[in-house]
Amino acid sequence: MPVLSVRDLVMHYKTKMGYVKAVDGISFDLNAGESLGIVGESGCGKTSVSMTILRLLPDNAEFRGGHVYFNDGSGEVDLVTLPEDEMRKYRWKGISMIFQAAMNSLNPVYRVGDQIVEAILNHYPDTTIDEARKKVAELFELVGLDPKRMDQYPHQYSGGMKQRAVIALALSCDPKVIIADEPTTALDVIVQDKILKEMKKIQKKLNMAMIYISHDIAVIAEVSDKIAVMYAGKFVELADSITIFKRPRHPYTFGLMSSFPSITGEKKKLFTIPGEPPNLLNPPKGCRFAPRCFNATEKCRREDPPFLEIEPDHYLACWNPVKREGEEK
Amino acid sequence: MSEYVPDERTVKSEYILEVKNLKKYFPADRGLFGRVKHFVHAVDDVTFEIKHGESLGLVGESGCGKTTTGKVIVALEVPTDGEIILDGIGIEEYAVDGFKEYHRKVQMIFQDPYESLNPRMTVFDIIAEPLNIHGIGNLKEREEKVAELLQEVGLTPPSSFMWRYPHELSGGQRQRVAIARALVLNPTFVVADEPTSMLDVSVRTGVMELMMKLREIHNMSYLYITHDLAVARYMCERIAVMYLGKIVELAETEELLKNPIHPYTKALLTAVPVPDPEYKKGEPDIMGSVSKPVDPPPRCRFYDRCPIRTERCAKEDHPPLKEVAPDHFVSCYEVSE
Ligand SMILES: Nc1ncnc2c1ncn2[C@@H]1O[C@H](COP(=O)(O)OP(=O)(O)OP(=O)(O)O)[C@@H](O)[C@H]1O
Ligand SMILES: Nc1ncnc2c1ncn2[C@@H]1O[C@H](COP(=O)(O)OP(=O)(O)OP(=O)(O)O)[C@@H](O)[C@H]1O
Ligand code: SF4
Ligand SMILES: [Mg+2]
Ligand SMILES: [Mg+2]
Repeated sequence: MPVLSVRDLVMHYKTKMGYVKAVDGISFDLNAGESLGIVGESGCGKTSVSMTILRLLPDNAEFRGGHVYFNDGSGEVDLVTLPEDEMRKYRWKGISMIFQAAMNSLNPVYRVGDQIVEAILNHYPDTTIDEARKKVAELFELVGLDPKRMDQYPHQYSGGMKQRAVIALALSCDPKVIIADEPTTALDVIVQDKILKEMKKIQKKLNMAMIYISHDIAVIAEVSDKIAVMYAGKFVELADSITIFKRPRHPYTFGLMSSFPSITGEKKKLFTIPGEPPNLLNPPKGCRFAPRCFNATEKCRREDPPFLEIEPDHYLACWNPVKREGEEK
Repeated sequence: MSEYVPDERTVKSEYILEVKNLKKYFPADRGLFGRVKHFVHAVDDVTFEIKHGESLGLVGESGCGKTTTGKVIVALEVPTDGEIILDGIGIEEYAVDGFKEYHRKVQMIFQDPYESLNPRMTVFDIIAEPLNIHGIGNLKEREEKVAELLQEVGLTPPSSFMWRYPHELSGGQRQRVAIARALVLNPTFVVADEPTSMLDVSVRTGVMELMMKLREIHNMSYLYITHDLAVARYMCERIAVMYLGKIVELAETEELLKNPIHPYTKALLTAVPVPDPEYKKGEPDIMGSVSKPVDPPPRCRFYDRCPIRTERCAKEDHPPLKEVAPDHFVSCYEVSE
């Protein structure tokens, strides 16, 4: 039974120039203890999906429909139907979030340690301040921060230190699901490696589910059990990570996976997907990837391909998928 | 708009930038009352040069002082000690006009695009502001220039981004606005602080190609701060590796990647993730986990975490950077002597 079940989620932003179709029919299931990676081009809607799930949307966002079923074992609730004060109980303790923007979590006028202490006290009112500070010191060690620096302010931290403080905050209330939006962009690879391993350990221990959003396919490869590939507001492919990496069917996934810059071997020519990123104010008709696709046919330019399960646990939205080896079509 | 090219440069020095014995200490105390007793040694005696048209990569542990180095170079922080020389002229000489001239030549792309873009300005205003300040072009020319840059960083069609505010953009889109703003004046030197950290490979390639193209055309130089060694490999001729306020290794890019010598650099290269879910990566050879830049004791800064340390490393001060092979500098007693 999934801890999180998202169905046909649609959210558009209203702007002077029209609607930005940032989330346009997203569905997926996430089981307890499982990690889902979401990859996709900058601006395709990854952050918007998470903000829609948590209902942390800006004023110009218009929720157009869909369901977010959450079940921590005590029964299923559809988060989209809850009044705000009910919803608040699920945020942080049910589903917590590591924001792409550290400033969305850290208040500049409070000491970093105090902010995490406060989060713990809010959700575990029986804790004493000393206990909470001890827990924060442990979390600091875990993310590689010197506990001596708990009493400094966010502006006294480096970019990566702030990011680590935000990770410590997200872990502080033992949530059932963590959505981590580009959690390690400001970290060197050694610290990143350590934190990802620590998060895996905690995940195992608490049977927590994770959603990792990252542009870094190497990070996604390390942490995800399954991967969703997003393009222009929609998921185009979703399967276990090995399938996505080794046997992708969607032409966009195929492009993403076929070339990475590396630090060993020949200095390869860098990879780009031809054409321009799609305009979400006015997305292409038919398949949104068609203008940039090497496999596109007339039908692709006319009709939007449905997101279907083509084999157990492998979902695809494509009229003319990449052939499998030894397959005629 | 020929005015965009502030060239006619009379090169005064072999180097666009010389940084000599740079130090920046921050107070680490609560500091409400009385004297500050403890300091974060964010940058601790750093020396390097960058040639005209060259890019130097700066990599290192999170919190080791990369951003601080960059901010001191662009005159946003006052150094505790040391010298910054731009094309042969000391930075203090630029103070006469409040660094206006300096900031025309030297720009910084800030690490966090959520904090660095003015929330009350549109994308157009943000990118065109430097043109405004320096009185370059009329409104129409500015619009053309901004549209051209938006196109080049992949914010297409430009008309759908020009009039948005930063909060109406995704993380990677903001990052590209910050890049466009820093490049609009064709500066001679740019400190690029993790400029593409939120961009996927495809979009990132476009942005890096733009940065390289501008470098060719205008003989620009970069100090390129990044955690991504594959990016440094593409963008930079040389790489400096920093650890707790010190440069511990400096070499040509390919040499550094093929033949890393300092134990920290070696650990760093082992930890680079590989895009293959079936690949099992090696453990980086490094001890402990938390580095402490507050009042570091006078010994090798890497001592606490070093897998090859000896007694000598604890007894003597931090090892000097020594040339161990042509143009390959390392600061470690165990490997550089
Ligand atoms: N408040 C807003 N108003 C209008 N458009 C918005 C708003 N927030 C985001 N957008 C647009 O919605 C689209 C999706 O944005 P989102 O932040 O979800 O992208 P993302 O996939 O997280 O990208 P990145 O990897 O660059 O962070 C983008 O094209 C962005 O310009
Ligand atoms: N204004 C400040 N006050 C006090 N300490 C500061 C200040 N700015 C930076 N520091 C400290 O100086 C050290 C170096 O910070 P810096 O931002 O230069 O690191 P960085 O190498 O850029 O790290 P990252 O990769 O995480 O961005 C850190 O320990 C940081 O906490
Ligand atoms: S549906 Fe057509 S255009 Fe879209 S990805 Fe598949 S083949 Fe390409
Ligand atoms: Mg995002
Ligand atoms: Mg930094």
